[in-house]
Amino acid sequence: MAQIFGYSGKILRVDLTTGKISTDETLKYKDFIGGEGMSMKIMWDEVDPGTKAYDAENKIIFGTGPLCGTGVPCSGRTNITSLLPTSPFNGVSSSHMGGYFATELKYAGWDMIVVEGKAANPVWLRIEDEKVTIEDARWMWGKGIFDTQAMVASFMGKEAQAAAIGQAGENMVNLSVIRTGASHSAGGHGGVMGSKKLKAIGVRGTGSVKIAGDRKDWMELDKFMMSIIGANNQMVVPTTPQPWAEFSDKSSRWTARKGLFWGAANPPVETGECNPKDMQSVGLRTQKAIFDLGPGAEKYTVRMGGCSHCPIRCHSQLKVPQLEKYGMDPYVANTCVGWSGPRGVMFNGIKDFDGHGEDSNIVGNAIGTTLADDYGVWCNYAQIGRDLKYCWDKGVFKRVLPADEYASIPWEKLVKGDATFLIDFYDRVAFKKGEFSHIGDGSAAIALRWGLGDDYWNDKNGKLWTRGGYPVHHSNEAGAQVGALISCFSNRDAQNHSHMNFIGSKLPIKIQKEIAGEIFGSPDALDPPNDYKPMNTFKARFAAWALKRSILHNSLTVCNWMWPMSVSHDKERGYRGDTGLEAKFFSLATGIKMTEKELDEAAARCFTLFRAITVRQMGDADLRAGHDHMNKWITKADKDKEGKEIPQFTPGTIQMTEEDMALAQTMLYREFGWDEKTGAPTRASLEMYGLAGVAEDLARRKLLPS
Amino acid sequence: MDEATENGGGPSGALEPAAIVEAIRASSAAAALCCRSALSSRFPRADIAALVGASGAADLRLIEGRTETYYFSELSMTRAYAVHLFHVAEKDPLRMVAETVREESRLYPRPTDLRTFLDPPFGLTPSELAATVGALELQEEGRDIAQVRASNGALYLYCTSYLVPALALSLAEWIEVGQKDNP
Ligand code: SF4
Repeated sequence: MAQIFGYSGKILRVDLTTGKISTDETLKYKDFIGGEGMSMKIMWDEVDPGTKAYDAENKIIFGTGPLCGTGVPCSGRTNITSLLPTSPFNGVSSSHMGGYFATELKYAGWDMIVVEGKAANPVWLRIEDEKVTIEDARWMWGKGIFDTQAMVASFMGKEAQAAAIGQAGENMVNLSVIRTGASHSAGGHGGVMGSKKLKAIGVRGTGSVKIAGDRKDWMELDKFMMSIIGANNQMVVPTTPQPWAEFSDKSSRWTARKGLFWGAANPPVETGECNPKDMQSVGLRTQKAIFDLGPGAEKYTVRMGGCSHCPIRCHSQLKVPQLEKYGMDPYVANTCVGWSGPRGVMFNGIKDFDGHGEDSNIVGNAIGTTLADDYGVWCNYAQIGRDLKYCWDKGVFKRVLPADEYASIPWEKLVKGDATFLIDFYDRVAFKKGEFSHIGDGSAAIALRWGLGDDYWNDKNGKLWTRGGYPVHHSNEAGAQVGALISCFSNRDAQNHSHMNFIGSKLPIKIQKEIAGEIFGSPDALDPPNDYKPMNTFKARFAAWALKRSILHNSLTVCNWMWPMSVSHDKERGYRGDTGLEAKFFSLATGIKMTEKELDEAAARCFTLFRAITVRQMGDADLRAGHDHMNKWITKADKDKEGKEIPQFTPGTIQMTEEDMALAQTMLYREFGWDEKTGAPTRASLEMYGLAGVAEDLARRKLLPS
Repeated sequence: MDEATENGGGPSGALEPAAIVEAIRASSAAAALCCRSALSSRFPRADIAALVGASGAADLRLIEGRTETYYFSELSMTRAYAVHLFHVAEKDPLRMVAETVREESRLYPRPTDLRTFLDPPFGLTPSELAATVGALELQEEGRDIAQVRASNGALYLYCTSYLVPALALSLAEWIEVGQKDNP
């Protein structure tokens, strides 16, 4: 076989029904880049419409991309694609995890793993380079993820990486995760693994990834990337004024400063001010524990952790000795919603409980995170807590729960902010105990089951974006129409940070607008915060770019919580980043020359294919009406203190209007060449993206827009 | 208040100008401004202003205070940071708060969290800050400075020349509450 660069060249296929293990070639899918793009192609080709998430015919695909394992900064991500159980039509969707699993898989010689079928008894998959076996998992089954990982390590050695499900996944709780490492969870597909009786995948690789380009060019590019990279989410401004910085913003993730520590390290490590000229201090910039949990977390911080080949390290690793009181390991790690999701269940906040005093919030967060991560319960981007609150506030539980079950739930703990409520809560959800546990079915399912109507979907505090049952995620609240558009397409929360890594950079608006003008054609692509203007074509271009970059990153696979590098901290560069970096790295890694534009077009192909799968699964080409339609709270005008409506596009309100969002969707559909009326891919657009076969299939099913 | 130094040719190679330039650079590297009075006592016979101006050091900048001149080097300190230190050195918290708030409302734009002034480099005590906020409400310096409170009780200041009240309120609410709900 000719030498392959960037890719390992092989896809591992495992049929759990027959026990057959086979190999496929990666490069036959190369038009779809890798990771998510290739997974969409496999889902299109091999999973028939009408298949349900927990059917044996569903496939679950663990994908890496050509940049994973090469050392490109922030490239240790795994993309997981499958049908999503929380989607009311079992829509195809992707979840992502970091850690070291993806890199290990590449080093073992595999780009992806495609799992299909259903095992008769619990199994785990053991991958040691070429050697792949399906192993008996009867002793793992029933265990939490931490113990499962320990068992995999005891079989394969501590260098092995494991992706596993907990009891929630085993029990096919719709809201469940697949987790690797101490804190890297892919939300939504845990139950799919459970349905296949696949408890874990252990992988050990001793090979490497070959790079096509010249080493010196590679190192130069890497050095350049390191000279423009910021803190987590590509925030390029520190939280406090620093001698080296022109700007500061207290809500930045660049929290480093003199006098700030990893306080539980031995000896404590001071972050220092992290002058960007000192490249060695990049990993100290983001003291994420204090960002996620408040200043009280400093003394509990052992260090920052993260994914392979990531200099940023956004996962806080804490030692919280108080956890031992609850029989839990005092070491706990997570980031962002991994903390706030479980915390959100405590919708009245976490108050002083069990004598933890002012540290109650940290201890409560640590309890919640430990439980969610061990049972493997997904928070649906914090929606589980909002659903709990809605059902509590509206008396739904009183109405739907049997009286004895209702009485057995320690509501008083929830109400008074005692975080030991979480112990009871996660036990019920993970083990599907009682009617209450259906809160873990996801929003669309509980709406049906518990008869939650328009009031539920349109509740502003509920934050549900569409009737697909997923919430807001960097939508209009931060990104005006650009963010709102981005939230309309996935079958789950958008998980898209391409726009936020620019909008949220914390640079002054004038600089950001200039950069927006350079990338999207006009400064009008970006509005000042909370001072929004009506839709325009440049915003549509921005939204389309963000959608393309997200699927591109999940295909390469690099971290969309850092990429793209549209800005930098470098004054000499006018704070410009380099949006062509993905293409430069791709070309050097694979030897396949791609310009920035060509790579974006390949991403548009992948995204259009995803869209086509959605059409086929829904059996309806009118995605504007049936899929992309936003709940009403998004377009309802705010009211002032006197109860008078505040017109949209008045400074201070972030509300959208129905007409403007309809126009926004039309413009966005146009950007991709889709039908402007329905938002479905047309024959011409499919052919333009090299998807003529997809057009034929949709035509046969009468699913092409007329 | 602040002007770039003239980059004229000077007696390069002379001992004093070089030492003065180095003293300014060393201060900036240590995150401090270098005052003309301090330089004068170190180099009593030197005309500091003239020597700095003639040094040819393109990185040196000055900020004129009421009675003092402050130097810094842009090799290791931005003007923005130097301005913060300048306000601290001038011991005029009223002006420090007002001008910082004005600048943030204009530049980003955003209202300013009052607690900012308790932290370095500002370093006001809580009582100094309370007195400053009270004085801003009464004095001419604060005529364009208004207050807004987020729903969690955090107090923010903003400049009415750049932000209307509704926008200032929604931004303060976003910084304090909304952003944390949308991580
Ligand atoms: S920024 Fe965080 S999530 Fe992204 S690669 Fe780095 S550690 Fe992983």
